[in-house]
Amino acid sequence: MNAISPTPKRAYDLNFARYVYENIDGGERLRMCMQCGACSGSCPIGQQMDHGPRKLFMMIRAGMKEAVLTSNTIWNCVSCYNCVVRCPRKVPITYILHDLAYLAVQEGYEPAKKADNARFAKAFWWSAAKYGRTDERLVTGIYYFSFGIGEGMKRGMANQKIAMNMIKTKRMHLGMPHAIKAKDELQKILAKATEIQARHGKGA
Amino acid sequence: MSDKPKSQTVLVVGGGIGGISAALEAAECGSEVVLIEKAPTLGGRVAALNRYFPKMCHPTCGLEINYQRIKKNPRIKVFTMAEVSGISGAAGDYTVTVTTTPRFVTPACTACGDCASAATSEVADPFNYNLSKVKAAYLPHTMAFPMRYIVDASVVGTPEGQAIKAACKLNAVNLDEKPDSFTLSVGAVIWATGWRPYDPNKLTMYRYADLADVITNVEMERLASHDGPTKGKVLRPSNNEAPKKVALIQCAGSRDLNHLAYCSRICCLASMKHAAYVREQYPEAEVDIYYIDIRAHDKLEAFYRKAKADPGIRWIKSKPSRIEKGAAGEPVVCGENTLSREVYANAYDLVVLATGMQASAQPPAGAELDEYGFVVSEEGVFGAGVATGPLDVSMSVQSATAAALRAVQAVRS
Repeated sequence: MNAISPTPKRAYDLNFARYVYENIDGGERLRMCMQCGACSGSCPIGQQMDHGPRKLFMMIRAGMKEAVLTSNTIWNCVSCYNCVVRCPRKVPITYILHDLAYLAVQEGYEPAKKADNARFAKAFWWSAAKYGRTDERLVTGIYYFSFGIGEGMKRGMANQKIAMNMIKTKRMHLGMPHAIKAKDELQKILAKATEIQARHGKGA
Repeated sequence: MSDKPKSQTVLVVGGGIGGISAALEAAECGSEVVLIEKAPTLGGRVAALNRYFPKMCHPTCGLEINYQRIKKNPRIKVFTMAEVSGISGAAGDYTVTVTTTPRFVTPACTACGDCASAATSEVADPFNYNLSKVKAAYLPHTMAFPMRYIVDASVVGTPEGQAIKAACKLNAVNLDEKPDSFTLSVGAVIWATGWRPYDPNKLTMYRYADLADVITNVEMERLASHDGPTKGKVLRPSNNEAPKKVALIQCAGSRDLNHLAYCSRICCLASMKHAAYVREQYPEAEVDIYYIDIRAHDKLEAFYRKAKADPGIRWIKSKPSRIEKGAAGEPVVCGENTLSREVYANAYDLVVLATGMQASAQPPAGAELDEYGFVVSEEGVFGAGVATGPLDVSMSVQSATAAALRAVQAVRS
């Protein structure tokens, strides 16, 4: 682990490619990319991505750190794994995009902080870490109100009917959030994971 | 080798262009040569090509010259429908077991064709990659060597078989032939077992199995050949109409860790040749070549430049991700153009997959193979032509000549 951590707020970082190869999940196989385009062509939402994986990988090689970490490509991946199955060089594209998204949040880039997926993931993780389960009301609530009180109310009202039906069909419950029995065990596991992560040079 | 080799005979396994070349070079250097071929005729995959790149000349021409050289050389013994089933011993002294499959036609055959007239049933024609059928008594192809018919095993023991036998005025049909085997004592072995096209059914994203207008490059050669299933016209298999838009997809299996990890070397040039077939037959037709990189090495660069100058050929730098079925059942090629970043979906009348070269299905008995199944030469046992890895025809001949030289030295020292 001799890569230098990317420096926040710098458009170009000549160490960025090396950082990605050595620190990003699946990054070591990124060296193998031959720019054939099978990934971006396979992507079901490739049209909506600003760059697509192939171009993004070339940008990583070019050291375009800021452009990579502010790209919408890392947030639009739906984990369908079409690209991973078809990649002729066996690059685990999905893992790389997800870990780049995580890095973008860590580095505090504005588009990452504002990304829908980041907001939802944060709400989901809060519930999963606290209760060992996801509570539909709390996760949805935290996610909606992350856009502000007005927007949260608006979204909540718009989905009221769905919520009522979910309660009726017992897909969502009223009352205290359900939690797993051994919450303290879960906390220990998470603490250990955080420790391992820190040892590998990544923040929680 | 310190000891004098016990046998000075060179065995060449495989009668394609590589095996023929190796056998001839060794024999013309004075060695005794046994050439064995598992098919009913010599010529191999080269005989099934329409034309060679880059000169666009016909393989029949070169085969004809080589057949003449074989006929005139008493040192070469040719066995067709024969395969090596076992090999033992060491360099200079090998004992090789050869098994033969019955042809049901004796050397008395003059290829008059009376047996084919008497045949009523039809069998798939392997020479045309099963795109067409032949009578159950047939000549393997017009350039067959030996020029002798074969009776398909399916008619043996039937009234049709008896009718075929009766039709031969020379009494050359012998339906009592049985599989046989014999042993040879040889000093060196040359494996010229060639290649097979990569199975396009494994490329599920390209839908070869369910879209009729998706074909392979070897099938394209047969469509363009005058003795092929369409008498030389490149036609859409779905409706036998002339194609107006044709896509040629490179690296269909090659350079792919999920399929063939290596570059098959010939496909870029073969596809440019296919573009030329289409453009010659249909001057209005458009041809799109999808590629990762064009690999036209050394002298072949000129052929690439010529193809690039043709305004009817479009070059799209992209490995297509998949082929979809269009509204009228036509293939729609989808992917990302890596130069423009445009995500495309282009409909075609005909799509040709440039499937790569894979080592022959049956690995040569006792030979050392590399991780992809290609022959690694060792003392006394040599690889020649595509048995050693993907090569074009001229490089195969070079490789075969080199193998012959090594074999000749091995049996003479």
